[in-house]
Amino acid sequence: MFEDPRILWFIPGLPLLASVVTAFLGPRLLRDKSHWPCVLAVIASCALAIGVFASVSSGFQGLHTSYTWFQTGDVDIGVSLRVDGLTAVMLVTVTFIGSWIAIYSIGYMHGDPGYPRYFAEISLFVFAMTGLVLADNFVLLYAFWEGVGLCSYLLVGYYFAKPSAAAAARKAFLVTRLGDVGLLIGILLIYTALGPSLDYESVMPRGQHASPGVLCAVCLLLFTGAVGKSAQFPLHVWLPDAMEGPSPVSALIHAATMVTAGVYLVARCTPLFGFSPSAQLVVACIGGFTAFLAALIALTQTDLKRVLAYSTISQLGYMFLALGSGTSHEYLAGIAVAAAIFHLFTHAFFKALLFLAAGSVMHAMGGVIDMRRIGGLRKVMPTTHWTFLCGAGALSGFPIIFSGFWSKDEILAVAFKAGQPGSFANSIYILLFLLGLVTAGLTAFYTFRAYFLTFWGPERVPPEAGHHAHESPPVMLVPLMVLAAGAVFAGILLGPTGIFEHFLEVHWMQAAFPRLLPATEHHGNLPLMVASSLFALGGIGLAWWLYVRRPALAREMAQALPGAYELSKNKFYLDEIFAALVVRPLAGLAHFLRVFDQYIVDSFVDLTAHAPRWLGHLLRPVQNGLVQFYALLMVLGLAGFLLSVLMR
Amino acid sequence: MLAEHWGLLILLFLPLAAGIVVAWLGPTRGSAIRLISVATSIVVLALALGMAFRFMALERPRGADARLAPAAPSFRPEFVPGASPSNPHQTTWHVLSLGPGTVQFYLGLDGLNLWLIVLTAVLMLPSVLISWNHISERVNEFYAWLMILQTCMFGIFLAFDIIIFYVFFELSLVPLFFLIGIWGGPERRHAARKFFMYTLAGSLLTFLGVMGIVLACHQQTGTMTFSIPRLVELVHGQLMLEDEATRAYWQTAQFWVFLALTAGFAVKVPLVPFHTWLPLAHVEAPTAGSVDLAGVLLKVGAYGFLRLAIPLAPDVSLALGLPMVTLLATAGIVYGALCAYSQDDVKKMIAYSSVSHLGLCMLGMFSLTMAGLSGSIMQMINHGLSTGALFLLIGMLYDRYHTRKISSFSGMATRMPLFAVLLVFICLSSVGMPGLNGFIGEYLCLAGIFSHEWTREGKPYLAIVACTGVVLGAWYLFTMLKRVLFGPVQEPDTHSPTGDLNGRELALIAPIAALCLLIGVHPQPILRTTEPDVRVVSDIAAAARQRATLPVGVATNQKLETRN
Repeated sequence: MFEDPRILWFIPGLPLLASVVTAFLGPRLLRDKSHWPCVLAVIASCALAIGVFASVSSGFQGLHTSYTWFQTGDVDIGVSLRVDGLTAVMLVTVTFIGSWIAIYSIGYMHGDPGYPRYFAEISLFVFAMTGLVLADNFVLLYAFWEGVGLCSYLLVGYYFAKPSAAAAARKAFLVTRLGDVGLLIGILLIYTALGPSLDYESVMPRGQHASPGVLCAVCLLLFTGAVGKSAQFPLHVWLPDAMEGPSPVSALIHAATMVTAGVYLVARCTPLFGFSPSAQLVVACIGGFTAFLAALIALTQTDLKRVLAYSTISQLGYMFLALGSGTSHEYLAGIAVAAAIFHLFTHAFFKALLFLAAGSVMHAMGGVIDMRRIGGLRKVMPTTHWTFLCGAGALSGFPIIFSGFWSKDEILAVAFKAGQPGSFANSIYILLFLLGLVTAGLTAFYTFRAYFLTFWGPERVPPEAGHHAHESPPVMLVPLMVLAAGAVFAGILLGPTGIFEHFLEVHWMQAAFPRLLPATEHHGNLPLMVASSLFALGGIGLAWWLYVRRPALAREMAQALPGAYELSKNKFYLDEIFAALVVRPLAGLAHFLRVFDQYIVDSFVDLTAHAPRWLGHLLRPVQNGLVQFYALLMVLGLAGFLLSVLMR
Repeated sequence: MLAEHWGLLILLFLPLAAGIVVAWLGPTRGSAIRLISVATSIVVLALALGMAFRFMALERPRGADARLAPAAPSFRPEFVPGASPSNPHQTTWHVLSLGPGTVQFYLGLDGLNLWLIVLTAVLMLPSVLISWNHISERVNEFYAWLMILQTCMFGIFLAFDIIIFYVFFELSLVPLFFLIGIWGGPERRHAARKFFMYTLAGSLLTFLGVMGIVLACHQQTGTMTFSIPRLVELVHGQLMLEDEATRAYWQTAQFWVFLALTAGFAVKVPLVPFHTWLPLAHVEAPTAGSVDLAGVLLKVGAYGFLRLAIPLAPDVSLALGLPMVTLLATAGIVYGALCAYSQDDVKKMIAYSSVSHLGLCMLGMFSLTMAGLSGSIMQMINHGLSTGALFLLIGMLYDRYHTRKISSFSGMATRMPLFAVLLVFICLSSVGMPGLNGFIGEYLCLAGIFSHEWTREGKPYLAIVACTGVVLGAWYLFTMLKRVLFGPVQEPDTHSPTGDLNGRELALIAPIAALCLLIGVHPQPILRTTEPDVRVVSDIAAAARQRATLPVGVATNQKLETRN
């Protein structure tokens, strides 16, 4: 049943249909039933995705071209979808997480005036993201890539009457578009340097024969796109602001449909990156640095969702660290990519869970999410509390039990391997590995800081909550429970058993880049596991000590280190630096050019237009109407003429 | 085939006839005038679409066959009125004898003009409808000029005789001069005069170029012709000659012809720095005038380059035009976008955005590759649709509040949700969101210039600068959206009735939005129909490239080899 490649069209097609139906019928006809098309379509495409996943695991690799999108000269872009191991994993992740978020939204968005609009946009988001992972050529990927960006714009700006939401939406769109320019240039470079065809199948094998400079440029340009969309330094600034949208949207953006696109792109292009170690080094450095930087910022944020947003940036940094570490030994690429995708998979569960739980808190607290104003909620909202705890455990990499531990450990193992003596740039990779280890400790600390501040200590409920300070309805709690189960068990089932790597290797890597595959089996690194466990437990313990045991100590520490505290709290002033270095000069230039255009360029035009008049002014005195003067001129002219004749 | 010939003639003259009737009705019979105008627009639209479908059904030689044909590459217009049965691509209708040559009433359709004709027809109906309540003084004259403007625009695109082309080219200034000068804003007289004088100054030089190429052909070949296809053929034949004196002659002749033609077309496009008439004219023009000016008349410049300047002076287009135009176009993309950002008047912002968009169009065209040339045609169509729609939407806003200052609006999405949805949609089309029309043209233009620069020099600097237009375009449009549509509601102080779009407004904007989507998802019919004629231009350019890279003797050998 799932062997027919035409089935692939329904995975993005159903959400698109739901989006169109809701957009046109929602406001008038469906109203408070507007969630039905979206929920049904996303669940149906999830079912299809699981079916396709099952057929892929039995060896099915589908490709289906529907029609030529545009073709002229040597540009030939088809609308074609393809599924392989990587796509199947992504599809299942996106649609599964998306389904539960859609169901959760029924409760969360209940009674909102923009209810139909919300669900139309959510469906469109799922459409764009599933299309992105199914696309079979770079231009189609770019199309869905932009589509994802558009949906995030629409959803972040959902409460458009709020100035901060409108600003955040514009920022999200523009900052990611800045990265997209790089991606576009990268695609054009592939088109000219690696052949006119842009199908993956024909581009990827050419990577190893291209000149190193060109290949490196291609990889870095593609990575620029990923930096924008996956919120890596320095283009990460849009993501924390993006939580101006409703909480389920944050869950969707952070877990399933947006930020994972960049990781997917780099993973998909492993056959190109794998032959350009210098590009990979850049990827790893940006990833490792972003992970560390975002963790530092997350330490002091007081907004629960903001802490989670920075944790996303940090975790994505881990994924890029892994993607960039598959360099030193040829065989490492396979393990590295598998580790990154595995972390993407587990992260999708626990980050969606954390955001939805945070949304549940926000729902109950009347929109307040500032951790200085809430506290001790573990009795008020028991289910939210324990599901959040599952997510926090996974995010902080609590050993053995939680999924985050397994996937993060694999990433650290890859970075450690890349840093072994004798390999390319090994000292840098060792540094990145240590940075990753420290970040693991920081992650555990800030996650549990947020957890303890929100759910422990004396019970504090802000006045905005009114009488709503109670547990959320079941329609919101069931998704939390399901995702919590995923956050716990996904790791222990798939991590130590190696099922995940094996699946990707057999159903994707062997066909896509056989030369980069491991020669030997990959084994877990026990000392490394112990080390990362210690860091995680240390972070959690410190958080407990500072925020439960001795709550005053944290404040004293902040006062003791005012500079560092302010730096972290103000996000290292990156927004301000961005504004001062890019936005303001550009706006200044624009204003200058407006004046320049109006008064300089146009004045030249007017000057030219005035030239005939001035010429007239110059000659007018000659026509003064005095006969004597004319006679004089005639005589003079005649004399001059005669002279010139005689002198010759 | 006879029906199509008449179709072209009706297309050309029906608006003119309607204009005369409307003018004769007098200013008091407003409703009759509007009805006649709407009816004419609908008939014209139906006719244009009908012609497009007939054209698409034609079996035209695809690119590969055209190259096999022994004749020099040249345009082969279809549906030529007055064609002889032996040669359906050539007319027999003579207008005027000029010495040994004859000016012919030579019209036709081919891939280069077909979709511009359709675009003109598509934009005609909304520009009539948008003026419904807006224009109350001298109604008859307004609609008469609007109709006459349509005829002029059809004439420019349909003409295959260089004199007929030029006549319509100049005539089109007159209706717009009156439209801006009578029904425009407070500074309408200044704007109208500037528009008229500036473009006239340029196009007088164009006339020198037109005459120059005709006389040069006459001098060298002994044939005096005004037919564009014939001229292209003759020039190509001459350029392929290996004789030293002929080459020297044509180098000089092409140089001056190209410069003279460029003078008029560059102002029309407009290329930076010859653009300053445009913001002024747009701000002062009534909405219908802006729609036609941006939607169609700006394309005349680009179309002129494509139809005349490149085919008639290919060597100089390559050697001089390419570096010059690509530089100006790239500068225009960035400069126009930055200027657009800092405008407070929405219309002015859109005017500068046109400078930016047409810069990209010219950049693609002067890559002289298949992708770039087709991309530039797509870009012309897309810019016509999306910018036309933007002017229409802003016109609707202006009708309600009598101001266009961005700073006086906020939160209009709350007040006018439908308007907001459409404005966001059209802005997305304008910034090149894939799935909507803008992306196709943008991508093809960029692909064209990128591959040109990459294969020539290996350093695609200009292409990369041009790519920044992608983010700059989003910057100014989305900033405008944020200020006008979002945030808390703030309206300018007016007492006029406000409300969301009414049925008439929806009916005039919705088809354009639908077309944006349709072209974005399925542009292939357009690309397919334009391909044979785009290939003519690209073949001419390719021959010029070959001449430029190879010394005299080698070219001959190569030619012989390819022929064998």
